[in-house]
Order: sequence, then C-alpha cells, then structure tokens
Amino acid sequence: MEINIKNLTFGYSGRPVLENVSIRIPERKLTVMIGKNGSGKSTLLKLIAGMYTPQKGSIEVLGKDLKRLSLSERARLIGFLTQSHNPVFPFTVEDVVLTGRASYIFSTPREIDRLESQRAISQMGIEELRTRPYSELSAGEQQLVMIARVLAQKARVLLLDEPTSHLDLPNQVRLLNIVKDLVASGLTVVLVIHDPNMGFMYGDDFIFMKNGSILQPSEEKEPYNSKLLSDVFGIEIKIASGDGKRWIIPGI
Amino acid sequence: MPIPFVFCSLLVGPSDLISARHIWEWVVNGIFQTGFSQSYDKELIEAVVLNTRLPRVILALLIGASLTASGTTLQALFRNPLVSPDILGLSSGAAFGAALAYVIPSLSVQPMAFLFGLMAAGLSYFLAVKNREVSTVSLILSGVIVSAVFTALLTILQFFADPFKLQTIIHWTMGNLHNASWSKVRSSAVLILMGCAWLFIIRWRMNVLALGEEETRVVGLNPRREKLLLLIPATLVASASVAVSGIIGMVGLAVPHMVRLMVGPDNTRTIPVSFAFGGSFLLVVDTLSRTMTSFEIPVGIFTTLIGGPFFVILLKRARLLPMSG
Repeated sequence: MEINIKNLTFGYSGRPVLENVSIRIPERKLTVMIGKNGSGKSTLLKLIAGMYTPQKGSIEVLGKDLKRLSLSERARLIGFLTQSHNPVFPFTVEDVVLTGRASYIFSTPREIDRLESQRAISQMGIEELRTRPYSELSAGEQQLVMIARVLAQKARVLLLDEPTSHLDLPNQVRLLNIVKDLVASGLTVVLVIHDPNMGFMYGDDFIFMKNGSILQPSEEKEPYNSKLLSDVFGIEIKIASGDGKRWIIPGI
Repeated sequence: MPIPFVFCSLLVGPSDLISARHIWEWVVNGIFQTGFSQSYDKELIEAVVLNTRLPRVILALLIGASLTASGTTLQALFRNPLVSPDILGLSSGAAFGAALAYVIPSLSVQPMAFLFGLMAAGLSYFLAVKNREVSTVSLILSGVIVSAVFTALLTILQFFADPFKLQTIIHWTMGNLHNASWSKVRSSAVLILMGCAWLFIIRWRMNVLALGEEETRVVGLNPRREKLLLLIPATLVASASVAVSGIIGMVGLAVPHMVRLMVGPDNTRTIPVSFAFGGSFLLVVDTLSRTMTSFEIPVGIFTTLIGGPFFVILLKRARLLPMSG
C-alpha cells in the first residue's frame, strides 16, 4: 500500500496551484519533493495531510480514503510537520511534545501518553531540553522538538515540510539521519527540502514539481538528469560526480 | 488554600456587637452542642454570619474562581496574554444583558447575561480577524470598541430606567458584593460550578490550542470546535458572575498571570490553581474593601486600581506581534 493521488486539483481563491496531479508515493521509503518556491510542494503536502480539501480528485493513504477519515483518525495515520510555530506561553518541551498525543486523549494525558512523548524526545536525542521552555530554544532546537511532537503521534506516514530550515549543517545531517532511521523502522516519509543535494543524498524516491505539475525524468533508468533539473529550477544545472556520489551545481 | 481566608473573612466585619470570640463560641456550641458560655446574641450572630457574611464569602470565592478561570481560558484560546472577560467586552455585554433583564421583568437575568456576554466576545474576535490572523493589538482594540458599545447601551438603559431600578443598576455596575445573599448564591452557583467543571475536564486541550490553529488541526483536533467548547464555559462562568456582582474588573486579567508565575503555563495545573487562588484573591480583596474603612468601597474599584497598573506593565512587556487566530 502506498499514497495514491489521483487527478488532484486545488487552488487558492480561484488561482490554480495544482492541476490534475496524479502520483503514487511508495510505502516505507523516503520520498523527497523538489521544486522552486511556489511550485506547489507545500500545498501538495498539506493536501496529503488533510489540511486542505481537494477541489477535484482523491487521495488514498495506505489504502484509506482521506475523505472518509475523521481528524483524529487522520492524525493517527499521518503526522505533519508544519513550517512555522510560535507558542505564546513558555510551555516546556515536554508539554509541547505531549500535545502530539491529542488524538488519543479525551481529558488529560495518561501514563502511556507521557511514555510515548518521552520516547519521542529520546528518539530525537533532545532529553537535555525536556524541561526547558520551548520559546527560549533556538530555531533549530525548536524544529527538533516539533519533529518529536510528530513522532509522539505514532503515525505511520510522516510529512515533513522543510524540516531542515533554520538548521546548521551538522543539525541538518543529524536530522536527516534520524529520518532515514525512521524509514528503516517501517515509516513512510515524504519530505520537502530546499537543498536538492541533501535531498538526493538521503532520498529513495523523488518528486519534481514545477508550476503545480509533476515533471517526470525523460529516461526511466535515472531518477534525475541535468535537463530535468534545469527545467525544475529554471536555471542551468550541471551534474558533477566524485567519490561515488553525484552533485548538482548551478551553471553560473 | 481558601479555607483560612474563609475563616478570617467570617470573623471580621463592621459590626461592633459581635466579636471573633462570640463567633467562635457560637461555632463550638453549634457543632458540639455544649453548654459553653453563651455571652453572645445568637440571633444577631446568625443574621450577621450565616445570612450576611457567609453568602458573601461564598460569592467572592465563586466569582474570583470563575473570573480567573475564564481569563486563563480566554488567554489560551485567543493565544493572547492580554485578554480577559472585561478586555474582550464580554463583561460589558453580560452587564448589559443582565441590566436589560432588570429593566424588563419578563426577561431572566442569567440567560440574558450569558447571551450578551457570548455575543460580545464573539463580536470582538470577528472584528479582529483579518486573513485568519488575529493580532494582539487588534483584539484589544476591537474589545475596547465592543465594550464601549455595550457600556453606551447600558447607559441608555439607565437613562430610561425608573429611579429605584436606576439606583440598583448603578450600584451593581460598580462591581461589588455588598448585596450578596443566598438567593444570589443560588442563582449563580449552579452555572459557575457547571462551567468550572467543564473547564476542568477539558483543560489540557487549552495547551494544544495555545500552540495555534494549524498545530491543533495536525494533531487531530478541530480548532474551531475546540475554541467554541472553551468559549462557552468561559463565557458562562464570567457572565454568571457579572449578573450577580456587576463588573469586577481586572481579576480575569491579572490573576491568571499570577497563577502562571506560580505554576507555569501548563493548563492542567493553571486551571485548578485559578479556581483556588482566584477565589482566595477576591475573598481577601473583598474582605479588605469592607473592613479597611468605616464605609464600604465596592470591590470592583479595588481590583481595577490594582489591575490597571498591572495591565500597563504587561502591555509594555508584551511582544506585539501578529498571532494566528
């Protein structure tokens, strides 16, 4: 089972953003979405997360029609990391991560909820931040906390919208390694990332987007080539290789 | 927490004819049925303690608890530490609704207070919303406008009210517990206890909502539904309080901040502490207002004099940035 998107169309106040998009995103893989700003990546991710309702088409996630799921059923299936978050009150990291358990809690958190939150904090390696106020953390630390919150949801699909933004290079690598481990443990992850080299280094599968449509590589045997990437980014892109890896370089 | 304050408040008052010792003897005799010396006037003590001070103490506890819990809830659901029932115009709306019911006898005080309180809070919010965002400043400004409109409507009511009702309305709008009685306790206690119980049960959800609408939706809660689920009891308890005591200003703003300073922002703790501390706070201030001078100062004047400077300090410290609605 996979994420199956059929003939998806969506726009904001009459302006189309996605037009007739159809794609299958494989299960238990790390799929990376690549494209320019405004290409429709975040919108597609938000549609899969159920944050927006499609104007046309359907989305099935691991065999379940998104339209038929309640908000709490969806939250137990799909975890979504949003781009910005600014709590007004100085909640501790522990309190923030615990809110990820909302779909399991009616009144107040139980022992199992606290245990799962604790587990998510440990998984992200941020135990030392546990009792610190979230609002006093650096942007990078806040990002790690919000990912722990998504993990506390115990969802089988994770949608991460630019999780590496605000992170320095060591923290980007640390985070992407954690994401890779999550995929190895059986989760399906879809990631929007701005740095294509990081995306290619970690991704198993790729979605290239331009002006609300999905671009396919001309040759099936390679996931991307310089022609496709030049088209995606609208500038000349060259591909260099070395040390068994490939790098994309803007042709300036 | 409030128990020592309750005893102290019952013991003090302007009456020269009964002392703390008399009350103590009356309590001991009442409980143990002893023949302990009876140097007191039993009927006088019952009139002062049972029928005057005790309902006032209970009302002060209920109203302090409900205004504080309402303020804590509104601050969490609007994600704005500067709002409270009076800043949002909720109290003015409830006061107008209650006054309307005083003037038109066929209307019932409590439902009218609730209806207009809810209308005022909703109006302040919708006036402040722009592109699904509500900034701190615009919510306060819309609250000021809504509050001014309902205050003007209340003035019109006063203008047309007959002199006897006018006196009652004016005294009541000052925010005081001077006319506390068992009938006022009965008319408000059930609503306040129901609203407080509701807030207590769903208090953790305020933590989720305080992170923002999108952050609430992604973890499986419908933010609009949750806001309504919190706004209704927060309005219910605040308007039930306004209906019996008038507008006791600033308790709903200042005391939630004191509570957060004591126990942090986690609402699983702030809501129960709001009940206990808010109730105790108003009880102490009310006891001072009726014992400090030979004449009684309405407690609403006291709380506003304390809360006004507090609000200015908060406003200066606040980050006046737009926050999602």
